[in-house]
Amino acid sequence: MNPLYLNVSFAACLLAAVFYAGSLFFKNKSFAFLARLSALAGVIGLPLYIGVRWHIAQRPPLSNMFESLVVFAWAILIAVIITDLKYKIKSVTLCGAFMAVIALGYASLLNKEIVPLLPALKSNWLTIHVLTCFVGYAAFTVSFVASIVYLVQVKFTAQANANVEKLDSLSYNMIAFGFLFLTLGIITGAVWANSAWGTYWSWDPKETWSLISWFVYAIYLHVRHTKGWRGAKAAWLSVLGYLSVLFTYFGVNYLLSGLHSYG
Amino acid sequence: MSIKRSKGWKFFSSIKLAIWLLASIATVSIIGTLILQNKSAAEYISRYGHSTYKVFSAMGFTHVYSAWWFILLLGLLSLNLTVCLLNRFSLKLRSLGTTIAHLSVLVIFAGALVGMFFGQKGFVKIYEGQSIGSFESHGKKVSLDFSVRLNDFIYEENISPDEKIVVSSEDGSVLEEVSVEIGTEAKIPHTENSIKVLRYVPDFILDVSTKKVVSRSSEPRNPAVEIELNTAGETKTLWVFARYPDIHNTVVGGVKIKYVWAYRRPKDFISNLTVIKDGKEVLKQDVRVNCPLKFGGYTFFQSSYDKTNLVWTGLQVVKDPGVPIVYLGFVLLVLGLGIRFYVNPMIK
Repeated sequence: MNPLYLNVSFAACLLAAVFYAGSLFFKNKSFAFLARLSALAGVIGLPLYIGVRWHIAQRPPLSNMFESLVVFAWAILIAVIITDLKYKIKSVTLCGAFMAVIALGYASLLNKEIVPLLPALKSNWLTIHVLTCFVGYAAFTVSFVASIVYLVQVKFTAQANANVEKLDSLSYNMIAFGFLFLTLGIITGAVWANSAWGTYWSWDPKETWSLISWFVYAIYLHVRHTKGWRGAKAAWLSVLGYLSVLFTYFGVNYLLSGLHSYG
Repeated sequence: MSIKRSKGWKFFSSIKLAIWLLASIATVSIIGTLILQNKSAAEYISRYGHSTYKVFSAMGFTHVYSAWWFILLLGLLSLNLTVCLLNRFSLKLRSLGTTIAHLSVLVIFAGALVGMFFGQKGFVKIYEGQSIGSFESHGKKVSLDFSVRLNDFIYEENISPDEKIVVSSEDGSVLEEVSVEIGTEAKIPHTENSIKVLRYVPDFILDVSTKKVVSRSSEPRNPAVEIELNTAGETKTLWVFARYPDIHNTVVGGVKIKYVWAYRRPKDFISNLTVIKDGKEVLKQDVRVNCPLKFGGYTFFQSSYDKTNLVWTGLQVVKDPGVPIVYLGFVLLVLGLGIRFYVNPMIK
């Protein structure tokens, strides 16, 4: 299929990162405007690509690593724009846009051929399962970059500023938002597994690692609410949670074997 | 002294314990994703060696999620959750979401236990034309008051667009590319000829006793298509082989024919089943992945088949009364988290 929309979106994503970087280093306001415009172009372009691919394939294009990365990049971009409008922390939006660039860059290296769905994936659960997972993953991505920016700022800037507080609360808010979606992702996976194989939980590596991620974020929420963990300690936990998410997404597929071998 | 003042109660009502338990369960769970689970001793020995296997086996690393220490951790977490729920959660509107979310985890555990103790799960292998009336669950035979017959097992494949029959002229220039879909008919341009695809076999062999072409297996070891070639009123049928292009790449009726094979992805595994009760056929259904057969409280899932010999189907038979409870837990969990993290911040 024609990769025009994908390439344009990739370029838009890259431009967004460049303009966010520009707005970080230069006072000129047009950078921020151009960055938002580029990110918006990506937010519109990617679903166009997904829509065309859906139409050609006659099925939801959510069935392998390439297709899921496109959805992931789209979800990250949306999360970045919302973060930008709500928090206006340039370093976070820059890193967030960069994460979307990495996702699309990696996707561009993969096989883009449209192949028929495997029998196990022919289910209405596919769309809802993948979408809920990636909404959660996108929120965790923003939480992760906010935590990294927090840790870097605390280490290299002497004076405590209000910005640091904002980073901490952004990181928390994204986890509080994403946790429900990770939960939904795991639950829809379980219900789907039960309707396809007759078991809602079989301790498959993908399932287990998604549960491990869920536990890490559950710990984050508990220590934050009851033990008052803030700042660096919380940020490290958010980083740990994200590493677990990345392993669930990539590591399980490339390093371990199991039922969930498609993406 | 009331129970709430006892040391045990205090210990189990601590969030610190909950955090340590979550961290421990997450950590030991990793072991089970790195070491293959529930395989045969022989497989472990060939993979890790004899002494390593003995250590793994003794530690429970070969069956982490059913090892006593894993079950103990889950038990402690449940106790911890129960005590916390009784101890610190009130029915105040403010803590409604938190209460429901924590309660839901206990409901899910309860559902899993119900499934473990009252559920039945087994595997049956049915050959075409045969039927089964029982299966083995947790080492015990379960008799059904009906039987299930396999009428037909069908393995469907997706034909790749790269798989085709290439018809070229004597000098080698391509005249037409024809899809291998059975029944395809095509006129060959610049000639009087037409071609028709009659049959496909993945593993061509000529049965010596019957002199008939059969497929030795369903694996594409020797893919071949039978085609009909019409040349000026004369009809010829011939086999073309993907692995042996030279056999009919010779000129037939003024054209050369080549069969280009490409990997066929599985499309569907279908078991055509009939349920028989009291000697009567009461239900006929195609069972495929994501589309099981439900009858008499049991569900039959398409589970396996033999790719080299498509004469039987493997079905997973499940009766799990815990599932509705688990699903109730799922609903409560989503509801609880929704209230806690979406509704509460709004009414702050």
